[in-house]
Amino acid sequence: MDAASPAPTSTGFYEWNPEEDDVLICRAVREETHDVKSFIFAPRSQRRFAFTPGQFLTFEFEIEGEAIHRCYTISSAPSRPDTVSITVKRVPGGPVSNWLHDHFRPGQMLKAAGPMGDFSWTHHPSRTGKYLLISGGSGITPMMSMTRTAYDLAEIRDTIFLHAARSPDDIVFDDEIAVMSRRNRSIRAAHIVEGDSPLQAWPGFRGRISRAAIEAVAPDFREREIFVCGPSPFMAAVRAILKEAGFDMSRHHEESFNFEELAPQEQAAVEEAAAALESEVRSWKIEFAKTKRVVECPETMTILEAARRAGMRLPSSCSKGMCGTCKSKKVSGTVEMHHQGGIRQREVDAGMMLICCSKPRSDVVVER
Amino acid sequence: MLDRTDTSLTSLLRRRRPGYSLEAPFYTSPEIFAADMDAIFERHWLFVAVEPDVPEPGDVMTVDIGRNAVLIVRDDDMQVRAFHNVCRHRGARLVHEEKGTVGNLVCRYHTWTYNLEGSLIHAEHMGEGFDASCHGLKPVHIRSLEGLIFICLADEPPADFDEMAAVMGPYIAPHNIKNAKIAHQHDLIEPGNWKLTMENNRECYHCGANHPELTVPLFAYGFGFAPEDLDETERAQAERYGCLVTDSHDDWERAGIPSRMREHLDDMVTGYRTERLPLDGEGESHTMDTKAACRIPLGAFPSAKMGGLHFWTQPNSWHHFMGDHAVTFSAIPLDAERTLVRTTWLVHKDAVEGVDYDLQNLIDVWMTTNVQDSELVGFCQDGARTAGYEPGPYSPYTEMLVDKFCNWYVQRMRARFDPAPVAAVAA
Ligand SMILES: Cc1cc2nc3c(=O)[nH]c(=O)nc-3n(C[C@H](O)[C@H](O)[C@H](O)COP(=O)(O)OP(=O)(O)OC[C@H]3O[C@@H](n4cnc5c(N)ncnc54)[C@H](O)[C@@H]3O)c2cc1C
Ligand code: FES
Ligand code: FES
Ligand SMILES: [Fe+2]
Repeated sequence: MDAASPAPTSTGFYEWNPEEDDVLICRAVREETHDVKSFIFAPRSQRRFAFTPGQFLTFEFEIEGEAIHRCYTISSAPSRPDTVSITVKRVPGGPVSNWLHDHFRPGQMLKAAGPMGDFSWTHHPSRTGKYLLISGGSGITPMMSMTRTAYDLAEIRDTIFLHAARSPDDIVFDDEIAVMSRRNRSIRAAHIVEGDSPLQAWPGFRGRISRAAIEAVAPDFREREIFVCGPSPFMAAVRAILKEAGFDMSRHHEESFNFEELAPQEQAAVEEAAAALESEVRSWKIEFAKTKRVVECPETMTILEAARRAGMRLPSSCSKGMCGTCKSKKVSGTVEMHHQGGIRQREVDAGMMLICCSKPRSDVVVER
Repeated sequence: MLDRTDTSLTSLLRRRRPGYSLEAPFYTSPEIFAADMDAIFERHWLFVAVEPDVPEPGDVMTVDIGRNAVLIVRDDDMQVRAFHNVCRHRGARLVHEEKGTVGNLVCRYHTWTYNLEGSLIHAEHMGEGFDASCHGLKPVHIRSLEGLIFICLADEPPADFDEMAAVMGPYIAPHNIKNAKIAHQHDLIEPGNWKLTMENNRECYHCGANHPELTVPLFAYGFGFAPEDLDETERAQAERYGCLVTDSHDDWERAGIPSRMREHLDDMVTGYRTERLPLDGEGESHTMDTKAACRIPLGAFPSAKMGGLHFWTQPNSWHHFMGDHAVTFSAIPLDAERTLVRTTWLVHKDAVEGVDYDLQNLIDVWMTTNVQDSELVGFCQDGARTAGYEPGPYSPYTEMLVDKFCNWYVQRMRARFDPAPVAAVAA
């Protein structure tokens, strides 16, 4: 990895720093296509994210009692620094991508480290101001972050966004790319698909990525700084096309989603980040029975705080166990409660608790 | 017919004829009602609850007296406290339920939080210069007389409460009210002015004709009779009753249970009367079979036949303490023509309903009697509204206590509203 660390987009706020608090809370899950979902995360305390578009985060997943680490590119733009999103495509039989799709919900938490990686146009500016972003499948995520940033900052970069997908239904962010290109004329987008989808005949480019397709979309591709991300065979194909066309390969940049293909220094950085994430604080699951939300709560945090950080608004006032505003029925589980007179022992005996001063000692179900 | 036209309160008070019921406006006028609330209910000790109403720390209850809202709460040191039930922020009512349990006292509006001592301990967003210690709940004077809770809304409550309490404490203490539980509580709204409710309570002239249930345990003679009206048998019974009272008092007092009559109904600001009266039949309780309703006695008594300790207070209560249970009555005026009467039946706190006592049997006599009295009070209220009403004479044999209630009332009203010195009405 290049030693010169990139200047992150400044937001003028405290930055999220995984060394202080590496827990991110899922605020929303969005369905992008039939097998792609975006997960939007916020820090637990009021912090903002700083990164360069194209960078990724390393996450720790606890799946069936086992800690697994995976990298995901930030698909959101640093110009909207309150949250970060990742966009994940299902991988047949893949333990993490499918768990995210099937089990991960708003309110749940993940540990994350980063940002890392230098796959970004910020580090490889184009002399001519022209860029060509070529992506296949889930490789669209770094391109999306770069394009969203250019759009948000109203930059006039000559950006051509070329995306290859299996069918029209597999094009992720289709509408948003169209909107961005319509409103910022320096962004032009083209998709190439292998075939029609059941309900949609494709009027544009068909087939696999090819020199003809690249030339048709960007006749001046030789003047451009080119960024490529996608499945390994896809990236290999692009590489071959560009070499054959006599492209100056120092202006070709690629990112592999295949961990084993990352540069050795980058693998080492990911492994170091993963080691730092290894949990030492236990987290418990807090289920809110009425609102049907589940929140991850570290044993060092109050249930109210965990819920609040997950975006839930629960009645509370003093947050000190005095006023009783947060009084809730505990359906099951154990908590450690340190109140200041806001609840009676009789009420505790009857299963009530003040969630502002109760920390979980097991999974807890709350009637709220 | 009344030939007088001056109906100002002071002249009505000055021309009150002792030994006669009050003139109609005292029972019907909203203005006089407002004056009553001011002079009587905001300035005297009122009986409003018993300690078993708030048995445990955090237990809270509300009482509304006219325009005033009061909350009574038991704190963590088992002390019972009373406060104005009004938030010091923007005045929202603080406690809404008649009874409940709280940790601290929290206003629903903006969650100002007071501890059970009334101090403001939490108020968000009030800024640096805000002094919470200046915004504690306003206390209301409260005294527990052996478990009977009296409050007083005046800044300076009548000092002679202590005098009354010193006499009454030993009478009530054996009945162990602090260790009792509420077996039943009943609120009845009587369709009459509060003074009619009290007057009805202060005599048993009407008992023979109206209370077949109450007169099972109670001797009608206990509350006076005109000797010349009695025939031979009645006179014999009355004499037997007179001897029974004297003998019982001797027995009970020898056993350390104060029983003799003490009366200060109209010569004290905190007027009261007490006497332990023998009961008819088995002599144990106010029940239809005159036997104890509850198997577990209230206190440690030498016998089950403890009669009924009667305790009357001005302006608003009466009580019957027996060996097995006690019944308290608190009258709270709602408006000129309606009065809330709250009856509370107490048994030992270890007594289990259905096992140690049958609730129906426990409450039967007074549930029935209350309804009968309520109806009678309504009759008088109806009468007071008519042009035909004119104050009538009280019986010198059976209605002396009614007269004393009116004496007390008129004196207290004159003390408040009549600048001229009030001649003490002799007892
Ligand atoms: C830099 C980078 C950025 C990525 N960005 C995205 C993205 O934006 N969207 C997206 O859908 N996918 C992205 N991926 C791929 C993603 O990390 C997962 O590989 C994918 O979700 C499949 O995981 P799985 O556990 O479901 O399947 P699997 O096929 O079981 O796992 C993927 C393979 O990666 C290997 N691996 C080992 N360590 C790691 C590690 N720390 N991170 C990743 N793989 C590891 C595993 O051994 C396994 O062979 C990215 C990967 C990398 C390396
Ligand atoms: S918010 Fe006040 S007790 Fe929890
Ligand atoms: S009125 Fe009570 S807190 Fe505002
Ligand atoms: Fe009666």
